[in-house]
Amino acid sequence: MADEVFTLIAGGKAGYGIRKAGTVAAALFARMGRHVFQMDDYPSLIRGGHNFCAVSTAPGPITSHYTKADLLVCLDQRSVDAHASHLSERGVMVHDDKAKADEGSVGLPISAEAKQYADPELITGVAVAAALAAAIGMSESELAGLIEQSYSRGNEENVPYARTIYKAALPALKGWFRLNRGEKERPLLSGNEAIALGAVAGGLDIFFAYPMTPASSILHFLAARAEDLGVVAVHPENEIGVINMAIGAATAGARAMVASSGGGFALMQEAFSLAGMAEVPLLCVLSSRPGPSTGLPTYTSQGDLSFALNQGHGEFPRVVASPGSVEEAYRLTAELLGLAWEFQTPAILLTEKHLSESRVTAELETGKVAWAEPVPAAPGPYRRYLDAPTGVSPLLFPPSSEIVKWNSYEHDENGTTTEDAGNSTRMADKRRRKGESLADHLRTLHTVNAFGDKGPVIMTYGSTTLSVLEALRHGGIEATVVQPVFLEPLPWWELSRYAGRNVTVVEQSSTGMFASLLKEKAGIVPARVIKRYDGRPFAPEELAAALKAAE
Amino acid sequence: MSELSTKAENTWCPGCGNFGILNAFKRAVAGLESEGVDRGRLYISAGIGCHAKIFDYLALSGLYSIHGREIATVQGAKLANPNLYVVAFGGDGDVFGEGVSHLLFAAKRNADMTMIVHDNGVYGLTTGQYTPTSRRGFKGPSTPAGSVEDPLDPLTLMLVAGATFVARGYSGKVEQLADLMAKAIKHRGFAFIDVLQPCVTFNDTYKKYNAGTEPAAHDPADFAAAMAAAARRDRLPLGVVYETDKTAFDRELLGEHNPVRDSLPQAGRLERIARVISRS
Ligand SMILES: Cc1ncc(C[n+]2csc(CCOP(=O)(O)OP(=O)(O)O)c2C)c(N)n1
Ligand code: SF4
Ligand SMILES: [Mg+2]
Repeated sequence: MADEVFTLIAGGKAGYGIRKAGTVAAALFARMGRHVFQMDDYPSLIRGGHNFCAVSTAPGPITSHYTKADLLVCLDQRSVDAHASHLSERGVMVHDDKAKADEGSVGLPISAEAKQYADPELITGVAVAAALAAAIGMSESELAGLIEQSYSRGNEENVPYARTIYKAALPALKGWFRLNRGEKERPLLSGNEAIALGAVAGGLDIFFAYPMTPASSILHFLAARAEDLGVVAVHPENEIGVINMAIGAATAGARAMVASSGGGFALMQEAFSLAGMAEVPLLCVLSSRPGPSTGLPTYTSQGDLSFALNQGHGEFPRVVASPGSVEEAYRLTAELLGLAWEFQTPAILLTEKHLSESRVTAELETGKVAWAEPVPAAPGPYRRYLDAPTGVSPLLFPPSSEIVKWNSYEHDENGTTTEDAGNSTRMADKRRRKGESLADHLRTLHTVNAFGDKGPVIMTYGSTTLSVLEALRHGGIEATVVQPVFLEPLPWWELSRYAGRNVTVVEQSSTGMFASLLKEKAGIVPARVIKRYDGRPFAPEELAAALKAAE
Repeated sequence: MSELSTKAENTWCPGCGNFGILNAFKRAVAGLESEGVDRGRLYISAGIGCHAKIFDYLALSGLYSIHGREIATVQGAKLANPNLYVVAFGGDGDVFGEGVSHLLFAAKRNADMTMIVHDNGVYGLTTGQYTPTSRRGFKGPSTPAGSVEDPLDPLTLMLVAGATFVARGYSGKVEQLADLMAKAIKHRGFAFIDVLQPCVTFNDTYKKYNAGTEPAAHDPADFAAAMAAAARRDRLPLGVVYETDKTAFDRELLGEHNPVRDSLPQAGRLERIARVISRS
């Protein structure tokens, strides 16, 4: 069998190297020139529990993992129990021979052979690559090469272990699948990596964050490559420190970004308003997981949409946008950083665990990015809050012979505190006009993606776009998929044309926040809302069935 | 020195200790200027409270921040452009209450900043509640029967947290305070000044501090002596309590890099991005 989607699912306890195994498989498929989508499902713990990774690959575009595995590798009994029903029709299960499994599955000495090595748990992840190599017809030496390339440590043990498992697997698995090569090798990137790179492309100078899944890998990525990228990554005492330092940095002239998930973002609200009042350019990344509160830390959700749109107290303009792909995450982060600087107001890049942490073969057009040049100050006396017709005042930073006063209080044009009634109206009007200038500017930008132009209308946003597109591909369904990239201001001027249509909304929220937003801001009353809110992304098989039933 | 003043209307109560702090700071800046420090390189921030109004009264650049966060604000500005001298003005409620996490970490990481606390033992602007430095028994609108908590000792707290310059000043001794402020600003690392500040309206401590303070007489390089001086309750030592050399946070983190000065143009960024991607 060839030229279709192939899915590997591997499961085991945390500490078995499952995630790494998924990464190795993804890299192998990418090197074959195929498209890849890798999704890690892991609970919030370091040891034990049940982790699995799903890596789907196809010769053509693929925008989701699948939940039916062609090759299922179960490193423990719990994985067998959890995934035995997730085999595709042509699929085969490989499992540790100590675990009980149905007939027709292939038992391998995964744990028995691992016992002789230094870390008998961690090394079992290597068995995944060995089983995969056997199943897709790789030679033993090709497998050894793959292991050497993929694992940075312990290969004096990894390689012999992989060879042993490979030899044991070969009689049962040899040539089970044949995977054609694709047209070219593409880099594998996660959404968070694309966000980090997009920020750098858009002018990021300094990044502040406190660890919180699923946003943490932006911090890790930028910290690891700070010097290569010419930026600085800082991990302060808490999210309140994070955002206030970022604001301080921006008022000194550095393009700053912060990132967190819902809880950390909630801590940043007061300073978010400070940025609104003081007119400080600031980009905030909000990567969602299911809440409320600690919720499901390592899973996905779109339940923070209203939170993002209504971030902060008081009235002030802001931009909120959400990328529907890894490529878009790169472009959009650069664009939002630019908008924050052009309009001197906070911007939010809203995303979800599903985009943040999934890894895909991505073709970034790195050069095709926005680069904003904020309004510079003319020579002469400077007024930070010059009441310009557009509401946008020129920027200047210390050190300067001019005095540059930013202020959290209501202030006059010089940035001096005043509670004068007339001035308060004038300044509130200035900020409102700035919001209008921003909305006018958005009309000149690409704000809504439309995929296809036939069939019923499906509206979705963020990473759920990925699930919808794959569901259509999988189900052979024709539809027009409409994805607003910008959510605040919501581009109603683009969306209102769908108002009379039979619209299906797909989103990962229990209350249908996106559907409510469309209704409120664009007059679109969806005929139905397909929701999932258990923290797991939609599976293409399941979503295709739901969309077909809706037709 | 006079041109450091602004046109903003001064709304401190007559006799408030904040006037002494304002005057001392202007003197300190004038002194630094005479030593060649360009005042354009000063970046100031303030929390929210009576103390913070100093932001409007000084013709200097910076951000009038929010309650307790000025400590984080100035650290961000410093990391963005290490050529700035950053100064945070805070209240005792502001710095030891709302913003205490930032204070501890600024000291711990030896952030190169000057923290000036207008320590009046009361929430002035919100009309007289007890603060972290109010004495036990302090009666305010939130503690009508008297506070049942013992006060924090700012100097000991800062010494233990790792501050590399710790001083105590008194708004009633402007000349000495100006000298401490100039030293603090020049100190390359975290400099902390707890300024005893009478609040004539809610906590008038002039008599207490006029009689109960004396110049510090120990060796400020000696940590144990500094701890002992900080612990004194009979008479409060004024002056530099502790001073030591340690590499500042921005230097540790950035080396020679200055994020604002060295910000790359777009082309340089795209090149680096392409290089990083080719390795993933
Ligand atoms: C987050 C937040 N909480 C509460 C307030 C209200 N508030 C304003 S000033 C202040 C206390 C100020 O006391 P202190 O810091 O000692 O300054 P002082 O007025 O004594 O100079 C408080 C609680 C606020 N502005 N922000
Ligand atoms: S209330 Fe106290 S601290 Fe505030 S201005 Fe009046 S005297 Fe000064
Ligand atoms: Mg006070």
